[in-house]
Amino acid sequence: MSCAWRSLAAALALGGLLCLLPAAPAAGAEIEISAPGQQAIPLALTRFLPQEGGAVPAVAEELEAVLAADLDLAGLFRFLDRQVFLDDAGKVGLFSTQVDFGQWQLLGAEVLIKGAYRVEGDQLAVEARLFDVPNRRLLTGRRFIGRPADVRRIAHAFADDILKTLTGEAGPFDARLAYISTRSGHKELWLMDVDGGNPLRLTDHRSIVLNPDFSPTGKELLFTSYRAGNPDLYRKEVFTGREVRLSSQPGLNIAGRYAPDGGGLALTLSRDGDPDLYLLGMNGAIRQRLTNSFGIDVDPSWSPDGRQLAFVSSRLGSPQIFILDAASGASRRLTANGRYDATPAWSPKGDRIVFARQEGNRFDLYSIRPDGTDERRLTFGPGSAEHPRWSPDGRFLVYSLERGGKKALWIMRADGTGGRQVAAEGSHPAWSVVW
Amino acid sequence: MKKSRCFAFASALALLLAVAVGCSSTTKPAPVAPAPPPPAAPAATDVSRQPQPLGVESQPVQSGDVADLQEVAGLKRINFAYNQFTLEDQARVVLEQNAVYLRRHPAEKIVIEGHCDERGSDEYNLALGERRALAAKNYLVSLGIAAERLSIISYGEEKPLVTTSGEEAWAQNRRAEFKVAR
Repeated sequence: MSCAWRSLAAALALGGLLCLLPAAPAAGAEIEISAPGQQAIPLALTRFLPQEGGAVPAVAEELEAVLAADLDLAGLFRFLDRQVFLDDAGKVGLFSTQVDFGQWQLLGAEVLIKGAYRVEGDQLAVEARLFDVPNRRLLTGRRFIGRPADVRRIAHAFADDILKTLTGEAGPFDARLAYISTRSGHKELWLMDVDGGNPLRLTDHRSIVLNPDFSPTGKELLFTSYRAGNPDLYRKEVFTGREVRLSSQPGLNIAGRYAPDGGGLALTLSRDGDPDLYLLGMNGAIRQRLTNSFGIDVDPSWSPDGRQLAFVSSRLGSPQIFILDAASGASRRLTANGRYDATPAWSPKGDRIVFARQEGNRFDLYSIRPDGTDERRLTFGPGSAEHPRWSPDGRFLVYSLERGGKKALWIMRADGTGGRQVAAEGSHPAWSVVW
Repeated sequence: MKKSRCFAFASALALLLAVAVGCSSTTKPAPVAPAPPPPAAPAATDVSRQPQPLGVESQPVQSGDVADLQEVAGLKRINFAYNQFTLEDQARVVLEQNAVYLRRHPAEKIVIEGHCDERGSDEYNLALGERRALAAKNYLVSLGIAAERLSIISYGEEKPLVTTSGEEAWAQNRRAEFKVAR
């Protein structure tokens, strides 16, 4: 196709879009839905129905359960009670002309999820639809194919579509959590779905593995391991399993964090006896020493523009959070209210920094603006909450919660509401982008 | 380069078209009558064809290859106060005794392990444990032990001596240990 033809085709498509945009998310246009947990759109989530063939209740139940859990965590919806659904909930028609919107309007639904599935041997096909009830139209729909074992991923992916359609920004559910688990008898690196499904062990170091971080593409991980007798930094490809030892300076090589552009990483080295922050290239070579103060400097976390780093320093005595300007090397203290603040994590949007504060013998999570104002407490016990990390869209946090001597993994909304356990055992979580 | 120019051209055309058509739908109230027929069935997403992470079952076995370290009767542990790495009097007495052992066994090389209790932050404790090991090493060097014989490693709170919680357990876990590399 020539440039002119392609331009015309694209122009027609874009022109159509431009006209559609203001009216497109009808539910979204009427209801302000930027912050999770603030509003509640009445949602009817129907059970997906078998399409030409036998019912497989387990598939329908799992689709519904995963969708319900994701959308509940999103905090945007009020779920209508399935008991009051009328006969349209039992009809498989997925075209907007086939849906009896009047029934759903009667029940007060503003958005409606319907779907159908077909299982044939080792093949699973799922049709999923989101409808705008008052305006009687399709908002988004997708056909998924895969294996029956992929049912949870399909539900997560559709939940992400739904958030994208209603808020303009996709959800983070079809992603993975990396974390440390002792399930095999040693601290090893594991991967699982964001709701705890499909745990998979990635390392077999039979030593101590700590503190994973996802590359910006989600296809690689950094972590620290004692496998060679020293806390060294490793880099691992998620899909090939290929692994290299990236930094093995004498002493600590810990808490590696990819720069937002993926072209380097920040970590703590103690090669000259003092734990300071350094910048490494992706070949492991030291590019720059970032801090040089007497005292412990650990836990770097990049601002999304890569210009600043939040980190923990004991330069004033107890551990406190500081902000470092990478270009000038100047740093300033961020938190002033706590006696022991640790593990800062800069939000993907750049607007907040979440961290753990120790009071008594336990930690709670707090959030603060990067300018040091508007500090808010997010958790209130019981238990000790540590190692907060953001979902890639900035809507949610994952963290470890220790109760009765056991660390579990939890996720919650960024405002501290909606907390739920996703793994009974684990620590040091990190949330990938959606693959 | 050419592509981006095409896109710019397309965007400009799109804007013109949109203005020309007047985006008529935006000015009308939302339609109540049945919406136009839905777009053709969306393209299928085949999730089973997307790449899958590789678990350890599919990888070659990698076992730990850490040097063998042994505790010996002549080398005693020392303890520290919470969030501190300075040597208290009692720790200095123990280190002086350890120095006596090291002078009697001049061929032995020692690994000093720094440890913390479970309360602090994990990464901070890795650094704190290293400070503790380093404090012990520096004192032994000041007592005349060759620095080349002494290496340090921090385990932070990863290897508690006592796995229970409480002041007594924490006090025991804040420690430096001395092991012979053989």
